[in-house]
Amino acid sequence: MLFCDEYLMPKTLDEAFAAMESHRGRYKLVAGATDIYPWAREGRAGDVEIPVLIDIAGIPELNDKKIDDKRTRFGAAMPIQRFLDDPQLARALPCMPRCAVWFADDQLRESATIGGNIVNASPAGDGIPPLVAHKAEVELASRSNGRISKRRLPLDLFITGPGRSEMAEGEILTAIECESLPGYGGSFEKVGHRRSLVISLVCLATLVKLDASGKRFEDVRLAIGGIGPVPLRLAEVEKFLLSGPLDEGRLEQAAEMPVHLVQSRTRQEYRREVVRGFVMRGLVNAVRRAGGHAVLTPELEASYA
Amino acid sequence: MPEMRIEATINGRKIARAAKPHQRLLDFLRDDLHLTGAKEGCGAGECGTCSVFIDGVLFKSCMVPVGKAQGKTIETVEALTRTGELSVLQKAFHKAGASQCGYCIPGMVMAATAAIRINPFADREEIKERLGGNICRCTGYQKIFDAVELARDVQNGKLPVTALAEDETADGKYIGANVRRLDAPSKVSGALKYAGDMVMPDMLHLQVLRSPHPHALIESIDTSEAEAMEGVEGVITWADVPGEDGFGVFVHDQPIMARGKVRYVGEAVAAVAAEDAVIARKALSKIKVVYKLLAALFDAEAAMQSGAPVIHDYAPDNVTKHIPIRKGDIARGFAESDLVVEETYSTQPIEHAYLEPEAGLAYVDPDGVVTVISPSQNITHHRHMLAKIIAKPINKVRFIMSPVGGGFGGKEDMIYQGMLALMAMKTRRPVRLVFTREESIISTAKRHPSKTVLRMGLTREGRIKAVSLKMICDGGAYGLSTEGVMRKAAILGAGPYNIPNLQVDTYGIYTNNTPSGAFRSFGALQTQFATESHLDICAEKLGLDPFEIRRINAMRDGAETHTKQQLKSVSYLRVLEAAEKASKWEQGAPVSRGDRRADLTPVGEGVRAACSLGARFEANGKLEAAE
Ligand SMILES: Cc1cc2nc3c(=O)[nH]c(=O)nc-3n(C[C@H](O)[C@H](O)[C@H](O)COP(=O)(O)OP(=O)(O)OC[C@H]3O[C@@H](n4cnc5c(N)ncnc54)[C@H](O)[C@@H]3O)c2cc1C
Repeated sequence: MLFCDEYLMPKTLDEAFAAMESHRGRYKLVAGATDIYPWAREGRAGDVEIPVLIDIAGIPELNDKKIDDKRTRFGAAMPIQRFLDDPQLARALPCMPRCAVWFADDQLRESATIGGNIVNASPAGDGIPPLVAHKAEVELASRSNGRISKRRLPLDLFITGPGRSEMAEGEILTAIECESLPGYGGSFEKVGHRRSLVISLVCLATLVKLDASGKRFEDVRLAIGGIGPVPLRLAEVEKFLLSGPLDEGRLEQAAEMPVHLVQSRTRQEYRREVVRGFVMRGLVNAVRRAGGHAVLTPELEASYA
Repeated sequence: MPEMRIEATINGRKIARAAKPHQRLLDFLRDDLHLTGAKEGCGAGECGTCSVFIDGVLFKSCMVPVGKAQGKTIETVEALTRTGELSVLQKAFHKAGASQCGYCIPGMVMAATAAIRINPFADREEIKERLGGNICRCTGYQKIFDAVELARDVQNGKLPVTALAEDETADGKYIGANVRRLDAPSKVSGALKYAGDMVMPDMLHLQVLRSPHPHALIESIDTSEAEAMEGVEGVITWADVPGEDGFGVFVHDQPIMARGKVRYVGEAVAAVAAEDAVIARKALSKIKVVYKLLAALFDAEAAMQSGAPVIHDYAPDNVTKHIPIRKGDIARGFAESDLVVEETYSTQPIEHAYLEPEAGLAYVDPDGVVTVISPSQNITHHRHMLAKIIAKPINKVRFIMSPVGGGFGGKEDMIYQGMLALMAMKTRRPVRLVFTREESIISTAKRHPSKTVLRMGLTREGRIKAVSLKMICDGGAYGLSTEGVMRKAAILGAGPYNIPNLQVDTYGIYTNNTPSGAFRSFGALQTQFATESHLDICAEKLGLDPFEIRRINAMRDGAETHTKQQLKSVSYLRVLEAAEKASKWEQGAPVSRGDRRADLTPVGEGVRAACSLGARFEANGKLEAAE
């Protein structure tokens, strides 16, 4: 059980910092609470007493979004469900709707926030690989002597290990900014024990853009979660895919490349199989959605899509 | 404790009242507003028994801090019947038989309401997807999906409202007719009170201190600090038991709370009653128990070795129960066989996972009758055991069975009712205990994990000549139903087959694992899993059709069972025939089959359609086949 003596709901960033300053060392931030509540239960942290909980989900700045064809910026308290049902976000971030649809269930997606997912920094966090593929940066705000300042960090550098990040005492993750990639084909592959409410064993975000001929990649991005302590961009694989024409043989060769990266503590054999299959499937799905039907054989589509 | 003031609209009424800052919306609705339609099934966002609408959007209220309700409009399942009538969807749940134990149903009704509000034309795949966050353990979901489709069609005018009415029964005959459950309206509306929903004036809340060790002596228990806490009204341990301590379905080997020794992780050691559950939980951490660790046993076969640690003094060999069956002469039977096959089969422990965690309410009535309300599957036996334990005549002990939110055998054991009774006697106040999901999993019975060595001898034609079956089950730390489970496993394990020479031995063994107990089919599952798998293997080796090998050996009318019971009529052949037909079985030995099988054909190609996850949504809200 989670016990607290006070539950504060600041309406502005300044109010939030004021609360954090006056309860230094005695508070915890809350957004959707979907990681905090299950954490404070028997078998995990057990009963936890935190004197002050500061709920930052209602701060307008953390719920904003600003989208153009180059950049997308959204507040850290954006519920996961918005990436599925907000057409502007879906257009700019083509694999996020697919990530969102596999995330928990309809109800939890309304509670769970993208910022909470990032700060929680689980190796299996679903929201992170797609944003890494979008070259996302996190914006961290802090206040000293009454002045708010902000710093930015690439998302993949922000997360340093399971449950660990560069977040400093007194900081709030305010927003995420990343590249808009409209017109890219996106896919999100995820495997777990069941269809809804399942934590990923492995997940893979894929974004592709084909050139005018439709037979070569103009851009490919692959980011994987669940196989090691932090999500990874598969840069080598991307480079290889860009280096020649898009055909079945190249996809198959690419799929072999990241298999050795599996470092998870459990089920390594299984994860290796999954990684190989996911790279194939992710690429096949993303290419198809990028309008590249012609280059894939129907057999290949049938066996992976 | 400081309080916060919540102003919100709840089920159409404005409220403004104090809430405790640590409360979840679910606690506030249930404990403060007495809206108990939303249930707590897991407290971890997994099960959906607590689903409610906030500003028209469905949320799991166990994951919502009460502060987030500020200024919001909230609708619980109670809102659906505000007019006094069930909603179309609730009527459809009633009609379709979608509610069984009913515990998941208020949440399920809410999720279904959301599904057809979001898309009034949702097809079955979309309905499944939208109900994905709500778990049901009784129905297998089909009737729930049927109900949602029925409601959708009535709402869209595709079916008349009369489709919701009960089917006419032919000349008053109920067998074979589709009859609505009498208790369904109370379940689909959320009105039915389970034990955890019940309150009494002046009621205390019980929490239990559990053993962190699998096997340890208790050197001392110091409850003084907990007792001194403000709000704590009572602390009990084994020392508060006035009578003959011990319960169990067969052997009464389990004390109400650990007595001198703990035998599994999760065993109750002490309990606290306080004005609220938070104080009681905090008090638990003030109880000091000094343990002396003992070597523990986690494997049934290891527990059978001589020299193994002894778990119960009365059973120095750690055998809870051995059931032997001897019939004919197996040595001769095997000698006469053309084929002898031996295999080993094992099964794992399984949790019942009923959606309703254990809960109970006890009080001493004005006539001094100790009364326990709980979803017990065995109240009469509990009453007799408790009378002895609390040293009262039977007429001073009463058990009331509350609605059982799923049992499947898992609520047959008197795991917590004794603590409630003792605390009610000690404090002279009503006391309620509601398990968390974790507590339910850690402390209550599981299906017996088993290992079966099965040897079968058959003639070339497939006639069974001899069977020897030996099963060793991990019974865990206490006896519970183990004896009965071993008996059924032995009696039924060799299956409905004529076996002239038979030797069966089933052993339930004490270990320091979570106790094993009753679970649907009561032991027969484990041994029959071995026997039926074995028959398939033998059929393959003999080149026989698996149905055929069963027919050759099937008990028929007038047969004698393995324990010499005369059976007037045996329906097995009819069951086989129906199963063969329904599965579109392609006759022949399993070895004769290639990758293309006519019997598995759904459409066209001759290959069974691959199993898939169903459909997921596209970004534009449309469905696409899952990848
Ligand atoms: C049943 C269930 C299913 C789930 N399924 C999935 C799934 O499929 N995929 C998945 O990835 N996750 C899943 N989760 C985990 C969880 O829902 C997500 O990680 C979610 O995104 C966490 O966000 P939150 O807002 O609820 O975090 P919270 O619990 O509110 O916070 C998590 C942590 O982040 C901190 N924090 C939150 N926001 C900020 C901020 N803006 N600045 C600084 N610190 C902050 C908090 O202090 C806390 O330490 C599931 C959880 C449950 C209960």
